[in-house]
Amino acid sequence: MTTFPAHAPIRLAACPPPGLVANTLAIAQRELREAVRSRWFILYTLAFAVLGLSLSYVTAAAGGGMGLSGFGRTTAGLVNLVLLVVPLMGLTAGAGSIAGDRERGMLTYLLAQPVTRTEVLLGKYLGLSGALIACIALGLGACAAIMAWKGDATRPASLIWLGGLSLALAMGMLSLGMLVSVLARKASVAVGTGVFLWLVLVFATDLALMAGAIAMKLRIEELFAACLFNPLQVFKMWSLHAADASLDVLGPAGLYATEEFGAWLHAIFGASLLAWIVLPLIAASLIFARRAPV
Amino acid sequence: MRTLHAILFTILLAAHAAAQDPHAMAPPAPTTPRVASNINTGLIGIRVRTARPGDVIRVPAGIYREHIRIETPLSLVAEPGAIIDGDGSGDIIEIAAPDVTVSGFVIRNTGIDLDKENAGVRAIAPRALIENNTLEDILFGIDLRDAHDSIVRGNRIGGKDLDIARRGDGVRLWRSDRALIENNHIHDGRDAVLWYSQGITVRGNTAIRCRYGFHLMYSDDVTLEDNEVAHNSVGIYIMYSRGITIRQNRMIRNRGPSGYGLGLKEADRFTIENNLMVANRAGVYLDGSPFSTQVPGVFTRNTIAFNDVGLTFLPAVRGNRFTLNNFIDNVEQVSILGRGSLKGNEFWHEETGNYWSDYLGYDQNQDGVGDFVHESYTLFESLVDRHPKLRILLFSPVEQAIEFVGRAVPAVRPEPKFIDEVPLMRPIAIESGRPAQQADRVGMTLTALAMVGGGLGLALLSRPVERRRRTSATGGDA
Amino acid sequence: MISIRHVTKRFGRTAAVNDVSLDIEPGDAVALWGTNGAGKTTLIRCVLGLFRFQGQIRVDDFDVARQGKLARARIGYVPQELGFYDDLGVAEAVALFARLKGVRSVYTPDILGRVGLTGHEHKRIRELSGGMKQRLALAIALLGDPPVLVLDEVTASLDACGREEFVSLLSGLARGGRSLLFASHRIEEVTALAQRVITLDKGKVTAEIPAREFIPHLGLQATLHLRIASGAREQAARLLREGGFDPQRNGIGLIVAVPTAQKAAPFRILSEGRIAVEDFELLAHTDSHTDSHAAEHTP
Repeated sequence: MTTFPAHAPIRLAACPPPGLVANTLAIAQRELREAVRSRWFILYTLAFAVLGLSLSYVTAAAGGGMGLSGFGRTTAGLVNLVLLVVPLMGLTAGAGSIAGDRERGMLTYLLAQPVTRTEVLLGKYLGLSGALIACIALGLGACAAIMAWKGDATRPASLIWLGGLSLALAMGMLSLGMLVSVLARKASVAVGTGVFLWLVLVFATDLALMAGAIAMKLRIEELFAACLFNPLQVFKMWSLHAADASLDVLGPAGLYATEEFGAWLHAIFGASLLAWIVLPLIAASLIFARRAPV
Repeated sequence: MRTLHAILFTILLAAHAAAQDPHAMAPPAPTTPRVASNINTGLIGIRVRTARPGDVIRVPAGIYREHIRIETPLSLVAEPGAIIDGDGSGDIIEIAAPDVTVSGFVIRNTGIDLDKENAGVRAIAPRALIENNTLEDILFGIDLRDAHDSIVRGNRIGGKDLDIARRGDGVRLWRSDRALIENNHIHDGRDAVLWYSQGITVRGNTAIRCRYGFHLMYSDDVTLEDNEVAHNSVGIYIMYSRGITIRQNRMIRNRGPSGYGLGLKEADRFTIENNLMVANRAGVYLDGSPFSTQVPGVFTRNTIAFNDVGLTFLPAVRGNRFTLNNFIDNVEQVSILGRGSLKGNEFWHEETGNYWSDYLGYDQNQDGVGDFVHESYTLFESLVDRHPKLRILLFSPVEQAIEFVGRAVPAVRPEPKFIDEVPLMRPIAIESGRPAQQADRVGMTLTALAMVGGGLGLALLSRPVERRRRTSATGGDA
Repeated sequence: MISIRHVTKRFGRTAAVNDVSLDIEPGDAVALWGTNGAGKTTLIRCVLGLFRFQGQIRVDDFDVARQGKLARARIGYVPQELGFYDDLGVAEAVALFARLKGVRSVYTPDILGRVGLTGHEHKRIRELSGGMKQRLALAIALLGDPPVLVLDEVTASLDACGREEFVSLLSGLARGGRSLLFASHRIEEVTALAQRVITLDKGKVTAEIPAREFIPHLGLQATLHLRIASGAREQAARLLREGGFDPQRNGIGLIVAVPTAQKAAPFRILSEGRIAVEDFELLAHTDSHTDSHAAEHTP
C-alpha cells in the first residue's frame, strides 16, 4: 500500500482548468457512455431497428423484387417511423438528463468542479447526441442491410440523407427536451412534459393544421409556412425533397413550395431545423446558468 | 452528258468539303437573307434542283450551309459527316415531292420562328422516308403535313435550348395517315404530336425531357408500342381519339404540373396493356374516357408502381375495366378528384382481379387469389381527394391516426372507393422490359456496413481514454 | 484565501444566509457550526458558486460569481454523500475528474493510496461502502492539490467507526498550508480539524471562537448521540424537549447535550415514553478528540 506522507509539503498552485472544448468533450464522452448503457438507449435502438427491419422486409416483399424504385412505401414508411420514434427519443432523453442529475444530487457535485454550466450543458447535449447517432445509425443500418439483401432499388444516397436528417431532427428534439429538463424540478415531471410535447408535435399540431386548412380555408402558402414551424413536418418535407421524390408528392402546397423556392428549399428547411437545435439550447443554457442546481 | 455532270458535281462537292475548316468558319452574314431567295442556292440545292426523278444523291462529309426544297422524287443520302446547317434561319429541308428519302444527315440550326414553324425536315407530300438523321438545335424536328404513308425512323431529334413555351415539336404529323414513327430518339423538344392522322404506328421510340412524350389529337386507330417516355411533363396523352392500342410502353418519372404517365381525354375504344408506369405524378389519368361507353376501356397486365397516384379519375369517368394489373406502392393507389364515384368502372372482371400491394388479406387455399375482397376505403385519402391541399400532411403520423380512427369508428368510415373481389396474391410478371434502374446492392451493403459499424463503434468504443489510462497505470503498479 | 463579504442568500422571503462576512487565511481551518437550517450548507454552496447571491466571495482573489471556474479550480470539495454515476469505476471516476480539473499526470494507485483505497480501482462506485465513497470523494477533491478544501458534513452519513477513520484521515491530509472550510454538527470533528469555529443561527454569524474555547463556549460537558428509528424521532425529540433538553437531529437519530450529572436522564424519559434507543454514543470533550468512555469533566 502506498501511503501519502501526511505532512509532505504540498504544492498549492492550482492547476489551470481546461478550456471549454476540453471539458465539454470530457463530459460528453462520459454522458455518451452512460447513455449507451442505459435502458432507454437499448430499448429505443431495438425498437427502431426491429420496426425498420420488418418495414423494409414487408415492403420489399410487396414490391415482388421487381427492381422498381421510386418514392414508395419503404421510404415513406421509414420517414413515418422516424417521425414517430426519433422525436420521442430526443425529447425524453433530453428531458431526463439535467432533471435526473439534479434529482440524484449529481449536478451539485459536478458543478462544484472547475467546470462552467455551459460546459456541462453542452457536454451532456453532445454526449446524448452521440447516443442518438448510434441509435439511428444502428436502426437504419439494419434497414439498409435488409434492402441490400432483398435488392430494394432505393438509392443508398436517399437512406444516407434520411439518416442525416433524422439526426438533425433528433438533435432538435433533444435540445427542446433539455430546455424542459432545465425548467423542471423533478425528472418525472420533465419526462412527462417531454412526452406531452411529443404528442403535441406529432399529432396535435397537424390536426390543428388540418382543421385550419378546412375550416379557416388557409391558403396553400399559409399552410406551407405553418408547416415550417413544426420540426417534424420540416424533416418530412426535407427528406422528400432531398431523398427521392420532389415535393410535388405533397399536392398543391408542395408544388407551390417547389415552384416558389426551388433550390432555396434546402436552405429554408435547414434554417428551420437549425433553429430548433440552437434556440432551445440557448434558452436552456441561459436558464441553466441562472438556476440553482438543487 | 449526265455522267459528266455527275462527275463535275462530285468534284465540286469534294472541293467544297476540303475547303471547310470547322475552326475557321466564316461569320454569318450580317443581314439574314430572305429564306426564299436562299433555297437551293447551295451545293446540295443545285444538285437537287437539277436531279431527275429516282436519282440517288450521295453527299460527302462537310458542312453545308443551305436550305433545300426537294421537288423531285429522289433520295438524298449522306455519307458520314455530312452536315446541313440552317444558319439559324427558316426550315432546312422541305420535301415537296412524293417518294423522297432523306437519310443519314446531321441537320441543325433552324430558325426560331414559332409562327412559321421552322423545321429541320418538313414533308408536304406522301411517302417520305426520313431515317437515321440527327437533328440538332432545331425548333420543329420532323414535320409531316399531308404526308400519308411516310416513315420516320431511327432519327435523333434534339430541340433548342429554349424555354418550353418557345420550343417546337420534335415530331409533328398533320393529316398524315398510316405513317410509321419508329426507333426515334426525341429529347428536349415540346411534343411529339399527331394531329388528325389515322392508322399511325409509333414504335420503339424514346422521348425524354419533352413536354408531352407523345400526344394524339383526333387521331384514330393508332398503336403505340415499345416506347419509352421518361422525364417529360406528361408521358403519353391521348385526346379525342378512337381505336388506340398502347402496349409495352414504359412511362417513367413524368412529373410536370400535370405529370401523367398516360392521360386519356375523351378517348374511345382503347386497350392499354403490358405497360409500365413508374414514379409519375399520376400513373394513369382518365378524363371522360371511354367517351361512349359501349366498349369498355381495357387495362390489363400493366404495372403501375411508385406513382404519387396510381390511377386518377375525374368524377364522371366510367366504363373502364382493370384486370391483371399490378398496383405497387403508389402513394395513393386510386384517386377520384372531387366528389364522384368509381362505380361505373370495374376493378375485377369475372374470375380476374388485380394485384394490390396494400392488400391485407391472405390466401389459405393457395389458389393465388386472396380469400377476402380488396376494399379500398381510407378516411385520409377521401379527405385528401376532397381537399387536395391537405396532401402536405401526407406521410405524417396524423395520417395513420386518422386512418386508425376510420377503421375503428364505422360511423366516420367512408364508402369503399372500389372493390376487387378476386385480388391477386402475387404480382404478374412485367413484360414491357425494365427501366434502366438497378438495385445498387454494393452501395446499399456499404451503407449498411458504415451505419452499423459507426453505430456500434460509437456505442461500444465510447470509453477509450479512461480504460487505457487505467490499464497502463495498474500495470505500472504491479 | 477565501474572503466572504456581506453575503446574503434568500430563498423566497427567508434569508438562508444573512449578511455573512468571513476571511479565511491560507492554512486557516474554519468550521461552520449550527443546527440544520442555520445556513451552513447554503454558505458553502455560495462559496462553490452553485447559488447566485448578494455580496461578494473571492477565492484566491477570483470572484466566485464572475470567475467561478477559476475559483473552483482552487477548491477541493467533498459533499455529504458522493452522488455520481453509480456504474462508473473508481479509477475512471478519478480519471474523469482529473481531466476536468486539468491535472495531467495522474497515477491512480498513488491517488487512491493516500486515502486508503488501494486495490479498489476496479470496483464500481455503487460497490463501495459509505466510508469508501467518502474517501474516494476526498481523493478526487485532493486531485491537483487545491489550496482550499471545502467539506459539507462529510461524516453525516457514516457510522461511528467510519467517522473516526475519516476524521483522522482528514486531519492528516488537510494540513500543510491548505485552507479548510467545513460545515459540521459533530463536536469531535470541529475540535479535531478546526482552528476557528463560526457559529451560525438563522443565516447570521452569532459567534467566532477559537477552537480550544469552543466546548466551554457551548457550556456543556458531554453530548449524547442516540440512534432512534426514524418513525420515533419526532416523538422522542418532543419528549426530550418537554424534559428540559434541547435535542438536535442528525441522520440517524438525535444529539442531546447533557450535564455530566444527568447523563442517563434522556434514557429515562425515552423509556417512559416507550421509545427504544437502538444504540448510543457518549462524547466527552477533552483535548484528545474522542473518548466515549472517560466522560468525566467538570464545568
